[in-house]
Amino acid sequence: MKPYLIGLAVALVLAVAPFVLGGYETNVLMMMLFFVILAVGLDLVAGYCGQFSFATGAFYGLGAYTAAIMSRDLGSPIWLNLPAGAVVAGLFGLLLGIPALRLKGHFLAIVTIAFQTIVYLVISQWTSFTGGQVGVSLPNPAPLTAFGVTLVQLGSLRSYYWLTLAVAVICLLLAWRLAHSRLGSEWIAIRDDETLAAAVGIDTTRGKLTAFIASAALAGVAGVLTAHAMRGVTPDDFTIWISATVVAMMVLGGRGTFIGPILGAVFLVLMPEVLGRLAEYKMLIYGSLLVLAITLMPEGVIGRLRRRAAR
Amino acid sequence: MSKIIEAKGITKRFGGVVAVNAVDLSVEKGQIVGLIGPNGSGKSTMVNLVTGELLADEGGLLFNGHDISRMPLYKRARLGMARSFQMLRLFHSLSVEENLVLASHMRMTTSVVDSLFGRAAAREETERARAKARELLAWFDLQEFAERPVTAMSIGQQRMVEIARGLMSEPTLLVLDEPAAGLSPPNVDKLIVLIRRLRDEFGISILLVEHVMRVVRDLCDRVVVLDSGQKIAEGVPDVVVKDPVVVEAYIGSGWKRRAQA
Repeated sequence: MKPYLIGLAVALVLAVAPFVLGGYETNVLMMMLFFVILAVGLDLVAGYCGQFSFATGAFYGLGAYTAAIMSRDLGSPIWLNLPAGAVVAGLFGLLLGIPALRLKGHFLAIVTIAFQTIVYLVISQWTSFTGGQVGVSLPNPAPLTAFGVTLVQLGSLRSYYWLTLAVAVICLLLAWRLAHSRLGSEWIAIRDDETLAAAVGIDTTRGKLTAFIASAALAGVAGVLTAHAMRGVTPDDFTIWISATVVAMMVLGGRGTFIGPILGAVFLVLMPEVLGRLAEYKMLIYGSLLVLAITLMPEGVIGRLRRRAAR
Repeated sequence: MSKIIEAKGITKRFGGVVAVNAVDLSVEKGQIVGLIGPNGSGKSTMVNLVTGELLADEGGLLFNGHDISRMPLYKRARLGMARSFQMLRLFHSLSVEENLVLASHMRMTTSVVDSLFGRAAAREETERARAKARELLAWFDLQEFAERPVTAMSIGQQRMVEIARGLMSEPTLLVLDEPAAGLSPPNVDKLIVLIRRLRDEFGISILLVEHVMRVVRDLCDRVVVLDSGQKIAEGVPDVVVKDPVVVEAYIGSGWKRRAQA
């Protein structure tokens, strides 16, 4: 029960935060929540299942563009775009999972970089569908209504922040359940020793594909939330820099520890805010931190702490 | 007697090298069959062909009467085949108990979705698997290690965990790949008793690859001898080890003949 209670407490604190914080800070917190979802999503496939991916930014973009294009062409509201973004990104996750059935390690990483690049090129060049470099703009999120009665206004920053928080809580809860279900332990088994996993009867194909789908779907949800928050999408919001940042969050915090990537995301999103003018060099700092972490502490901060505790 | 596993004319080539050449091998129900031969004779390849890590280039493979020659590893495991590895293989980031529980996932009747939503039936099933894992660990006198990482155990203990893992899925055939390797002589005695009990108490048929002759002579109902990928002898252990062809393969002019080739 303890992890649920801690999660609930943190969520409550975040829920009252906009009452004390200004608009800018609330926006930063919202951005932090997007990255928490992305980092936890990446942790499922790369941390738990051991299938390294540099394509988080692509799935994030696929979710965001699904929301933007559906709003533009169908006028669909956010509550419809959310599952749609998850499904579209999840399907592409399945697609990327297929080469992962044959490739391992560095070779798989290269394929995920290629996938990221292809998605970027398609969304930036297919002008008639995606708006090219200009992107697609979205209207203010429509209020959530049922039978003509307005339930929740989403137009204000605060209400949209709460929606983001609620969706993030649901995403984390799902990811937590996945990681701690039978499927999650099969992912760990595949990461530890794929041949052995198959030898004890684990369907490694199913394991890998589900990890890719789950990871991509979470990134897709983050994408939908971001698209509506920004009132628009452009290709440059979803480059490999996003993927690299999310990888840094996961590795710094600790792969396969669940809480580690969350803390990594919180740290790397909030850090540029306290750096002031130095924030211009944030990619340089992220990169240095990543190199340091991989050299000195490959299991990440939380991984290291857990190993200490286990001794 | 019905055959648990029956390989007919199994051939495996790696590039130009014929690692296993038209070998017939069978294990009858309730038997312990030994697979022996000098280093590089193709024993490990043969084992990997039986368990499905490798697929044969030629030949047929029947398991309880099912053709499994093109069947992937995990499906063979689900049909009732379990194995241990020459080089110890366990999931290193998991506890001993979790290692065992994973081996029974394939026997679980509740779905992964039930487990995802924490449904009572799935939780009970996992609990039952845990209880069974503890029971098995107690049988091996390793119960105090249940919650510890596998790396906390000695090589000999890890080998026992590998065998316990094999028992978790209630297999009909257990393939043991050099279980005595790296064990001290007293532990080898224990291993011999243990393997016999696996057959007598659990009714499991066993294919045993082994270098330690004492284990083979004490346990095996029948042995198959490989040399350079060919079957050179088959029969009762005491007779086979005196067979001049076998003696030659092990210590005689066998290596000289190969050096000339």
